[in-house]
Amino acid sequence: MDLQLTLNGKRVVWQAEPGENALDLLRRHSLSSVKWGCGEGDCGACTILLDGRSVRSCLLVAAQLQGREVTTVEGIKEPAGPPHPLQTAFVEKGAVQCGYCTPGMLLSAKALLASNPSPSTEEVCRALDGNLCRCTGYQKIIEAVQLAAGRMRD
Amino acid sequence: MQNAKICLYPRDASEAVRILSENGKRALILAGGTTASANEDPQVTILVDLTRMGLDTIEWEKGQWTIGCNVRLDQLAQHPGLAALYGGMLVEAVQAVGSTPIRNAVTLGGSAVQVFRWSDPPVALLAMDACFDLQGPGGERTLGADAFFAQHPQRVLNPAEILTRIRIQESEEDSGGAFVKLAKTEVDLAVVDVAVRLICSGRRCTDLRIVVGATQTLPWRAQAAEDLLTGKRLGGRAIAAAARAAREAARCRDDVRTDGEYRAEMVEVMVRRALKMARERARQQS
Ligand SMILES: Cc1cc2nc3c(=O)[nH]c(=O)nc-3n(C[C@H](O)[C@H](O)[C@H](O)COP(=O)(O)OP(=O)(O)OC[C@H]3O[C@@H](n4cnc5c(N)ncnc54)[C@H](O)[C@@H]3O)c2cc1C
Repeated sequence: MDLQLTLNGKRVVWQAEPGENALDLLRRHSLSSVKWGCGEGDCGACTILLDGRSVRSCLLVAAQLQGREVTTVEGIKEPAGPPHPLQTAFVEKGAVQCGYCTPGMLLSAKALLASNPSPSTEEVCRALDGNLCRCTGYQKIIEAVQLAAGRMRD
Repeated sequence: MQNAKICLYPRDASEAVRILSENGKRALILAGGTTASANEDPQVTILVDLTRMGLDTIEWEKGQWTIGCNVRLDQLAQHPGLAALYGGMLVEAVQAVGSTPIRNAVTLGGSAVQVFRWSDPPVALLAMDACFDLQGPGGERTLGADAFFAQHPQRVLNPAEILTRIRIQESEEDSGGAFVKLAKTEVDLAVVDVAVRLICSGRRCTDLRIVVGATQTLPWRAQAAEDLLTGKRLGGRAIAAAARAAREAARCRDDVRTDGEYRAEMVEVMVRRALKMARERARQQS
């Protein structure tokens, strides 16, 4: 099928099998920030934003993306611009160790801050409840989200 | 879904029904896609994405809530009006589902039709005595919650029939409700779910529905427990006796999470807890 979607702000038309897994499709198009983790919707490594909401790309098929807006970490900053405040905060707070969960964490955090610019710690935890990290634990990640939230409010 | 060749996007329920009836087992419905996306049936050649046909609003009119099948769980969780419906039990049940990105995808229709033993929203829908509007090749019909969950909903639906709306009647009397989930973690599947809806007149409970989930294939009403309390005042002893009756009626399965014996004990605890919460909420209302 001709799959038309808005990917990271740009209209694209891709050839796709309608039942192809959306995660495979995105990786085939070099969006390698979207990771294969469990493939069952538990881990959050494949998180994307679909019309602004954080969802699992491993639980979507290509046809469901028709006409939708998809955001991946490749699209959260201008190509030549500085990193997104969340990216800077993750680096400064040491919220990244192996990095496999980081794209998903960033996108879930971005969706949270879009609707709630000053989240409490509990609200951050709740928004990230679908993103597992197996290295650092979650403390630094939560701190990074709150640091970025503060800077984005200023 | 390796053999799917096309995806159709019906613009309304009639078009969806027509596509489904023309294509029989070749067609697969996609709602949120969280279960359907893993379908590996080689017969499936046509995908039918239901999410573009509207039916995605939450409406209130004359004491009745009408929720389109395509309303997602995150929309329900954030809806200010639903927080007051029977103590907020529907919001509690949808908040109990998986994690944020799962709730951002799952539809209420998908959740009601694609029932697993541990599914949370059906437990609250059965306790609230929701009505299920169906549309199929033979026209439209409405089933009450007891009929909709009498067998697996996928067997209750006729071929090419879809769920279009779920309706929930508010009570004019004092009422309360609660949904409680016991699970190993915040995002895990339920060990036991309980939903209670009660309607009172003064201190007496005139109508009571107690539903237990995650113990058997489908959510079930603990009727012996309901009978012990209906028409009575909800004192601590009466509640404890009803919770014991629910436990005795429970046929609990073993699974990787826990064994049936523990589940049965927890049925008692959770029924007691839900009844007390619902009672407090009903009192606050009166
Ligand atoms: C990791 C994970 C964790 C989860 N945790 C929980 C949990 O804790 N509690 C819980 O309750 N659920 C949970 N779920 C969700 C549940 O398992 C189902 O995936 C979900 O309810 C299906 O909804 P959907 O909208 O995605 O439907 P889809 O997957 O798109 O549809 C599934 C099927 O339902 C039928 N269907 C859907 N809509 C209609 C309709 N309107 N009319 C007729 N038939 C229809 C069709 O047969 C369709 O093929 C979890 C899912 C995942 C992946």
